[in-house]
Amino acid sequence: MVRRLLFFCLAFSIFSLEATAQDVSSTYLQELLALAQEKKLHHNRYWRLLLHYRQDFLGGYSSEVDDPGFFLSETGKTDPEAELHATLTQFFSDELVGRSQQVAQCAFIARFHWLSDQLKFDRTRFPSQTCERFENWLKELNPASITLIFPAAFMNNPVSMFGHSFLRIDQRGQTEHTRILAYTINYAAEVPPDVGVEFAFKGIFGGYQGFFSTIPYYIKVQEYRDIENRDIWEYRLNLSPEEIHRLLMHTWEMGNAYFDYYFFKENCAYHILSLLEVADPQFHLTDQFHLWTIPADTIRLLFQREGFVQDISYRPAGSTNLKRKREAVPASEAFFLNQLTTDPSIARQTDFLQLPLAHQTFLLDLASDYLRYKSRTDKKLADDYNTKNQSVLVSRSQIQVPSPPFPVAPFSLSPEQGHETARMGVGIGWRNDELFEHIDIRAVYHDLLDPDPGYTPDSQIQLGALSLRHYHRRNQFRIEQLTLVNVLSLSPIDSWFIGPSWKIKFGMNTVKSDSCDLCSNGHLNVGAGGAVETHVIQREVFFLMGEAEANVSGAYDENHRVGGGISGGVVANVTDNWKWLASGGYLGYFLGHRSDDIQVSVGQRWTFAKNFVFRTTFTHHDRDNELLAVFHGYF
Amino acid sequence: MVNRTLFMLTAGLFMFGITGVAVAAHPDNGPGCGLGKLAWGSYAGQQSIGSQVLQATTNGTFGNQTFGISSGTLGCTNDGTIFASEKVNVFAAINFDNISQEMAQGQGEHLTSLAALMGIPADQHQIFFAMAQDKYTTLIQAGETSPKAVVKAIYGAIDNHPVLAQASISK
Repeated sequence: MVRRLLFFCLAFSIFSLEATAQDVSSTYLQELLALAQEKKLHHNRYWRLLLHYRQDFLGGYSSEVDDPGFFLSETGKTDPEAELHATLTQFFSDELVGRSQQVAQCAFIARFHWLSDQLKFDRTRFPSQTCERFENWLKELNPASITLIFPAAFMNNPVSMFGHSFLRIDQRGQTEHTRILAYTINYAAEVPPDVGVEFAFKGIFGGYQGFFSTIPYYIKVQEYRDIENRDIWEYRLNLSPEEIHRLLMHTWEMGNAYFDYYFFKENCAYHILSLLEVADPQFHLTDQFHLWTIPADTIRLLFQREGFVQDISYRPAGSTNLKRKREAVPASEAFFLNQLTTDPSIARQTDFLQLPLAHQTFLLDLASDYLRYKSRTDKKLADDYNTKNQSVLVSRSQIQVPSPPFPVAPFSLSPEQGHETARMGVGIGWRNDELFEHIDIRAVYHDLLDPDPGYTPDSQIQLGALSLRHYHRRNQFRIEQLTLVNVLSLSPIDSWFIGPSWKIKFGMNTVKSDSCDLCSNGHLNVGAGGAVETHVIQREVFFLMGEAEANVSGAYDENHRVGGGISGGVVANVTDNWKWLASGGYLGYFLGHRSDDIQVSVGQRWTFAKNFVFRTTFTHHDRDNELLAVFHGYF
Repeated sequence: MVNRTLFMLTAGLFMFGITGVAVAAHPDNGPGCGLGKLAWGSYAGQQSIGSQVLQATTNGTFGNQTFGISSGTLGCTNDGTIFASEKVNVFAAINFDNISQEMAQGQGEHLTSLAALMGIPADQHQIFFAMAQDKYTTLIQAGETSPKAVVKAIYGAIDNHPVLAQASISK
């Protein structure tokens, strides 16, 4: 009897031991859930940041993350509370979750750390799990500081027209010369290589998935500096080790997720800001942007926090490097430079060898830079350029001194020094002897007469601009002009750089005709040609383009006309604050309403302050004559 | 407000349509390691990099099964970092032109970074640069077959160098 009792007790105690282990964790989970509920953690800003929740217009919450694998609750995308409960519950499980297939404590390591802080986790009451993959990753990144990288705008690729931004994870022990080895955190849409015309639509309306990646910086440098010839600005950020750790934990977590990519708002710059908010939740960044996120605007925003951007360094584009070095070549040696790039054997001839050694090495280095540039841009002759470059380099290696550093000055100031991108103006003018008041507003971004500093020289992108007028005599208000797109890129041509200048304009303006005085006119204009640069006053760029235009308006017979013609002009910096733009053109219309049109326009802009300018324009267009004076503010 | 959004969208759409020729693929989707989810994309102008990396890595020493076929990547771990054993080769393959130019010039950040990856102590970098410049022609000739052969030739030259051979180089 005693023995049987003993056996029974033993069996019971084993059973109860097992039960206790489960009970302990499940009771602990219940405690944590209750505490989280009591503390209303799902309302906490940090939880919203970690899950990328945004309040919608009905007051509910929805996450910008579109990957179901990012949520541990089925309703997690729209229910912060359910997601928090599911997350706590999953921390007690060995199940592998998310895209990265890890246990939840590791896959969502930033959530784990934050909840642990908030709820004072007793780790002994959790299943013991180590995050070896994360630790190895972190060790490999070897983070010491974070630098924001901004490759400047690149006009010849629509996705890069506003620039790009990403983070570099600077490594411990990294020097100025080894920082290319650091990893980066880059957010980009994944687009299939054989994409067609659907690209634009999908890119704008969320048709592609965007992912974070950790590409080594040397690949990014090659891409932007060498291949696309874009200046790169590097801004070291003032983040504490704890903030960097939070940022990296969250980056790791984001390896589990994709977002639908929206070119204008939820783009690279936007998601980089979201990482900085996780680093320091005091920072309110992403909620400053509503309809679009222009990368340069995000940099200006970071500068608003005193001391946050610690220092700026500049990495010149391949083409900037070439231009600056060419300026430094004395006229007497230009001949040798030209020879080296066409017949490198001159490097072994007496004339060349009589130059001072430092001049020889400088010319050889520049010739090599040029030949490499040509081999990248002129694919047909790439082999020839490579062979010549090889020959130049062999000659160079025989002069056994290291090349001294050559500081390259940028052609444009760093982007944070630029004007804001939205613009508003008030003014007054006369049109065909009638007085009018004028206001205008522009969503983005920069035109040829806006202040130059911080923007890619000789380029213009205007999207979403509207001007309204009140004509005095007839007491009439009207929408004078509406610009959907007005993009122009001038590329001055010389013996080294040959590229097209082009423009495209699409919108509505107001014209005068026989049948009506102020008629709305829809127009589409495209043009292409060339430009040259002179330095007579300060800097002038002359351009000439062939163009095609289509108009739709009640002013014309059959309500339309289509034609082509030629236009040209000059944009001139007279002083740092004063710039002129004069242009003229002829268009002959041969379809629809047969007619022709001569246009002349002369404008000037005076800069009072970075974000405040005065502009006057005289325009002659068909039978319209107009003079307009406007004050513009940027915001 | 809604109208403005509409303008922006239409505007952007239009802009894309016209210059769509230049857009073979997203330029930021270049070769590289992803985070968890990985992609070695290729796009116009970047194919050379992709193929260089392939060249550098397919001949090679990748025995590790945790990457590659399933993730579609080479040289990277599943978590987006580069295998320690392949760091020098991947770096040399991708930056071959820059390294070769800087070897002839006896200095430069790519050459310095290569030296750092090879484990050459910072106080011997100048010696390494001078050696690379001195032996430029033979080293580059060795590299005509692949960037990996240049790396091998450089290691060989280090072994035969009276000073550099003393340093413990990571291979």
